[in-house]
Amino acid sequence: MKKIIFALLLATGTANAQTIKIGVITDRVGVSKPYSEPATEGVIFGADEINRKGGVLGRKIELLIEDDQSRPDISAALARKLVDQGVVFILSVSLSPATQQQQTVTMEAKTPQMTPMNSADYLTTQLQNPYFWQTGPLGSTQIATLLAHARSKNFKRVALITDNSDLGQAIGKAFKGTLEKAGIQIVADEVVARGATTAMPQMQKIRAANPEAMFLAGVLTAENVLIFRAYKELGVKFPIHSSYNLSVPIYESVAKGLIDGITFVDAYDPDKPEVKAFVAAYKKGTGKDPQNLHGYGYDGINLIADAIRRAGSTDKEKIREAMQKTSYAGVMGKKGMKYTFPEGKRAGFDTDGMVVRVYEKDKQGRVVHVGQK
Amino acid sequence: MQDFLELAVSATASGCVYGLIALAYLLMIRPTGIINFAVGEWAMVGAFGGHLLLSRYEWPYWLGMLAVLAFMAVVGWVTERIAVRPLMERGTGVLAPILALLGVLVITREIISVSFPPDPLPVPYAFELQDQKYFIIAMTALVFAGAWLFFEKTVLGRAFEAVALNRRAAALMGINLSRVTAFSFAAGATVAGLGGLLVAPNISAHYLMGVPLAIQGFTALVIGGVGRVEGALIGGLLLAFAEQLTIRYAPIPSGFAQGVPLLFLMVFLIVRPTGLLRTRA
Repeated sequence: MKKIIFALLLATGTANAQTIKIGVITDRVGVSKPYSEPATEGVIFGADEINRKGGVLGRKIELLIEDDQSRPDISAALARKLVDQGVVFILSVSLSPATQQQQTVTMEAKTPQMTPMNSADYLTTQLQNPYFWQTGPLGSTQIATLLAHARSKNFKRVALITDNSDLGQAIGKAFKGTLEKAGIQIVADEVVARGATTAMPQMQKIRAANPEAMFLAGVLTAENVLIFRAYKELGVKFPIHSSYNLSVPIYESVAKGLIDGITFVDAYDPDKPEVKAFVAAYKKGTGKDPQNLHGYGYDGINLIADAIRRAGSTDKEKIREAMQKTSYAGVMGKKGMKYTFPEGKRAGFDTDGMVVRVYEKDKQGRVVHVGQK
Repeated sequence: MQDFLELAVSATASGCVYGLIALAYLLMIRPTGIINFAVGEWAMVGAFGGHLLLSRYEWPYWLGMLAVLAFMAVVGWVTERIAVRPLMERGTGVLAPILALLGVLVITREIISVSFPPDPLPVPYAFELQDQKYFIIAMTALVFAGAWLFFEKTVLGRAFEAVALNRRAAALMGINLSRVTAFSFAAGATVAGLGGLLVAPNISAHYLMGVPLAIQGFTALVIGGVGRVEGALIGGLLLAFAEQLTIRYAPIPSGFAQGVPLLFLMVFLIVRPTGLLRTRA
């Protein structure tokens, strides 16, 4: 925390009339906090690094950071406040619905806005907002990538398990639809309720159905850990394929000894040269190991800096034109992936750019599958 | 058959946790008539105490557990002093302290949520993963045996019973009411904290873990009745078996199976509103 404040002071302390102001809307206390906090640290580190290398167009970047508590109503008001303070770009690292609400302001105020991590498919399809871009992997890409990996294993019978949260149910439904479309039979379809003290009966039922693999769509950490515990206690051996939720590194400590061999979708390849450079720089700059979530924020601020450089000006219309022509390789995505927005599309994460990784002992390990093929 | 035995052990362990929370309610309801919904948050405090001492500072399990339980007794005692006794002394009836304790619930949760990271935190097992359920069952048996002996065999326990039967008459007989109340809150917090500490290796320490435990424990209490100590345990076990057997064997989607224990609760409230066990005459 001290480091963040220090970095903030550093970022704002050097501010003068010549700075380029960039707004950041994050969540410090609400439901997205576990994701927004590391992403924002990545943004701050990225801005700091850009400033140390001389800034953009000879000017320093100044971050104006606001907290929307993941609440769409607050979020739109904050976007307005940032526009009034003269930001040339808004970086959204809060919840998808909050980001969506901010668009009503950025569209009207013609202010460029992007989210480096939100995954909701609707962000660039519901509103025709030419000032908005999304570079996080879409929900549909996550499912397709996980399924592509499953297809390579030729599964015929699988089990599905999720929790009773809104998002867990939605991902579960998407998994189910995609699996059934691929002709894979779902032999058990189980739900673990929030606040349960065990997942033993569900896992027994799955064991009795004898699947070749189990798909995990749950997003509640504590309930997912219950599932892993029951899996270990019952000593079953079928492989577990998990949603994107398992890419959050909290599992390395809270599910210690339970997650070895579990595969999960991620947008982060530790072997990628850009990732190695980022990890080394981050460690040197902050003394801490970054997570995949830091990479989203880092890519976000660098994409914005890249667009402003190519625009050659801080004119918002010129930045918009430059952003649309982006071709940039960042930390996130498979090796060699570039963020691009071809044919007027504004979702820039390559649909073939996600990877499937595996937990090795208690650490997020190597990549075992790439893309949707 | 092996399937059923596995499930029976797992349901017994869950039922023991529900039973401990129900016992925490009961220890306070019996002498005071106050339903303290903050027991769930107290279980959470016990779990976070376990995380702090056993995971972060790596104390030996027994030492850490004793320290957590001693701390919980202090928490209960202080809560009674601050939120219950001033109201009772003014003769406000039971509703005012119940509301004050809801305030304690919110304050406790907020203190934990700002003091710890937002993610669930690990709490170690007493021994190994496979043994935790037996450890839960053994500890619960010990606590219930102790509570039973206390109420049946000791003078203080008899004083509790007397206060439960008639506060005014008990006071006239020279029983120190405020001491009984203070003791019941300290004991309630300790038992709730133990429940939290025992279940935390499974469900992790998390600032939102209290409310589900408070509801499960309360349901167990309604099923078992507040009349007798054993009722809390029997209620907890019945609830856990109903939950887990339905999910495992009932031919309905597991999303619906979650509603069955609530159905169970409603049936009990209609058929046996005083709970399964009757108070002894």
